[in-house]
Amino acid sequence: MKIAVCIKQVVTRDWPVRIDESAAWVRDGDASFEMNEPDAYALEEGLRLKERHGGEVVVCSAGPARVAQVIREALARGADRAIHVESEDLATADAGVVAEALASAVREESFDLVLTGLQSDDQGFGETGVILAERLGLPHATIIMEIAADGDGAGRIRVKRELEGGWFQWITLPTPALLTIQSGINQLRYATLRGIMAAKRKDVRTVPFASPPPSAWNIVALRVPVKDKQTRFVDGPPEAAAAELVRLLRDEARAL
Amino acid sequence: MLVVGGGPAGLAAAYRLATRHRTVGGEPPVVAVLEKSREPGAHMLSGAVLDPSALADLMPDWQSRGAPVAVPVTEDRIYFLTERRRIPFPITPPPLRNHGNYVISLNRLVRWLAEQVEAAGVDLFAGFAGAELLYEGDRVVGVRTGDRGVDREGNRKAAFEPGVDIRARVTVLADGVRGNLTKTLVERFGLDDGRLPQVYAVGIKELWEVPSGRLPAGAVIHTMGYPLPHEQFGGGFLYALPDGALSVGFVAGLDYRDPGFDPHTAFQRFKRHPLVADLLAGGEMVRYGAKALPEGGWHAVPRCHVDGALIVGDAAGFLNSMRLKGIHLAMQSGMAAADAALEAVRANDASAERLAQYAALVESGPIRRELHPVRNVHQAFAGGLLPGLLYSGLSLVTGGWWIRDPMPAHAGHTRLRRVAGGEPAAAAVPVDRRLTFDKLTNVHYSGTRHDEDQPSHLLVQDTDICRTRCREEYGNPCTRFCPAAVYEMVDAEAGGQRLQINASNCVHCKTCDIMDPYQIIDWVPPEGGGGPRYEGM
Repeated sequence: MKIAVCIKQVVTRDWPVRIDESAAWVRDGDASFEMNEPDAYALEEGLRLKERHGGEVVVCSAGPARVAQVIREALARGADRAIHVESEDLATADAGVVAEALASAVREESFDLVLTGLQSDDQGFGETGVILAERLGLPHATIIMEIAADGDGAGRIRVKRELEGGWFQWITLPTPALLTIQSGINQLRYATLRGIMAAKRKDVRTVPFASPPPSAWNIVALRVPVKDKQTRFVDGPPEAAAAELVRLLRDEARAL
Repeated sequence: MLVVGGGPAGLAAAYRLATRHRTVGGEPPVVAVLEKSREPGAHMLSGAVLDPSALADLMPDWQSRGAPVAVPVTEDRIYFLTERRRIPFPITPPPLRNHGNYVISLNRLVRWLAEQVEAAGVDLFAGFAGAELLYEGDRVVGVRTGDRGVDREGNRKAAFEPGVDIRARVTVLADGVRGNLTKTLVERFGLDDGRLPQVYAVGIKELWEVPSGRLPAGAVIHTMGYPLPHEQFGGGFLYALPDGALSVGFVAGLDYRDPGFDPHTAFQRFKRHPLVADLLAGGEMVRYGAKALPEGGWHAVPRCHVDGALIVGDAAGFLNSMRLKGIHLAMQSGMAAADAALEAVRANDASAERLAQYAALVESGPIRRELHPVRNVHQAFAGGLLPGLLYSGLSLVTGGWWIRDPMPAHAGHTRLRRVAGGEPAAAAVPVDRRLTFDKLTNVHYSGTRHDEDQPSHLLVQDTDICRTRCREEYGNPCTRFCPAAVYEMVDAEAGGQRLQINASNCVHCKTCDIMDPYQIIDWVPPEGGGGPRYEGM
């Protein structure tokens, strides 16, 4: 089974982000980065499928030079080789542009399965995988919780999707296909010393992103949520004050 | 060759080992570096003002290779602070003249150094802590890395990955101040016999961004006095980086007497002093961290060579407390250790006798030249600020001579005064979350993260002492000296209290291991990759 896993490098969760001068992106100059969490689960799932069915896991990442960090981590965990579509502009690109960048890397190789995380921890649109499937002309299924072990990896694949309200759905789809993977689907493995050593000798193909399509949208402004705390005193006789307090809690604070 | 710890000392050792053959010939050795942080540099915290001499010795073309040294020092100022006022020192004492030095982010310098080291062919493994030393008889033969994937109760999780034994002909311990491996090695062989006890300080630092025009980039300010009483060792610093970035920090000696003292509170007071508050007004705190530093100096350095292993950098205590600098000495010690180790391995003899060449290099080189004349300075400060300053001035003339040499010293935790019956008065400082912060808010800005489901990496041998003796005798100072709110006394049944350890807050500063009056706290490395993320610090 030949599997592509698309990974994104994102600013570390819980990082105290600040807005940059353009007011349209975060200051990532000295931020800490990590592999997007759902992508890490997608990678793990890819590695498990390879262990079950044999084949090859290729990680693909579209982004600036710094994404080499997560590519190296993926190779250390056991991916066989990597494709890096490199362009500084990809750091802030929209899902359509990123999907096109990934498609340019994935298209010429015939993968049986393309895995992505279901969404990114930074922009969180949950679109890249779906658009990528469209660009590649592949059927896709989203929010995958399980990939059935009974498939032989040839022709068809059975997967469990997460629906709303605790419901799940099992569907079968033909391969090649694209799946967007939910966090928590498996247990992530650690990179081993052996894996880190081996990663140094693995092939990372860096390709430029020659002709990016125009952005479908622009970020106009980003704001950090403001935590606000106000104190208001309710005056008057106790009965009237209590009634006013109830009104405020119900109508303004919407706490009742 | 194995280097444990990817700081300035460890990386200097690794780089020297990997490149030495270019000048002395022969085959390059196989060199690996273990680093507990997730990425090189993530646990690096320093002021920092760098004396570039060691970097130039290690890598003569450091400038053309783009070493990120930020900005040359443009001016030095020293103030004595009272609660409201500042008294400038009329002259800058020679040890604090920083002409030719640089204000840097140690995190960035070490990240860059790690790249140079890897490019030189060294295998650098980030996210792996050295959990224990491997021995054959009394010879160190390598290191066992920590297990990963162990749950809170010590059971193996599904992703369990056992520690790996890494064997090496020479192991260089660069595990930093109060390093966990160095601590066991020193204990096992009594390497500090006949030496003075090491004394430490804890440095707490915030990185700020302030409106332009506050301080010119390259300005270096040191303060003494307020908020510390005269008998207590410590002081503040402000180092101006380019683009309005400002390092503001406070160093407090871990040999204070009042168990109610809280270094984090002292730091907040320091920031509220008009000198500092005016510089920070309208700015934004962007990062926080804390780290202990070895202040004991020359007489407190243990024997640093045993069969199969060497100790370098802060782990050994190579820090000049008079110049407030240790990065360059750490790097010098790494280089000296590398040269001794390489010759030993080439002679197929990594015995302590052979590795004693490292001690000879330290004796004959820049480390002794710098540390020996100031060997008694920190001890003199044990008597208070005035005797300390007087002796410091004297030592510049006498080359460090004193009637009793070494001047006696005591381990810091032994100086803690007992409080009669319960909680000492710990004065609070107002927290406005603009200038001053509580510990938990600060910890958030350290970026520290640990997998919650792992055994506590802070081993307290006997927690009964916490709720009985320590509560009575010292009022649980751990709840104050920890700058990351790891230790808490919480209500337990029957009206008593028990110790709660919030290990995931830990910023790996080692203060608890050092300052606990009963010496029952053992800091061991958590699962590899855990800990703070000091980007830009």
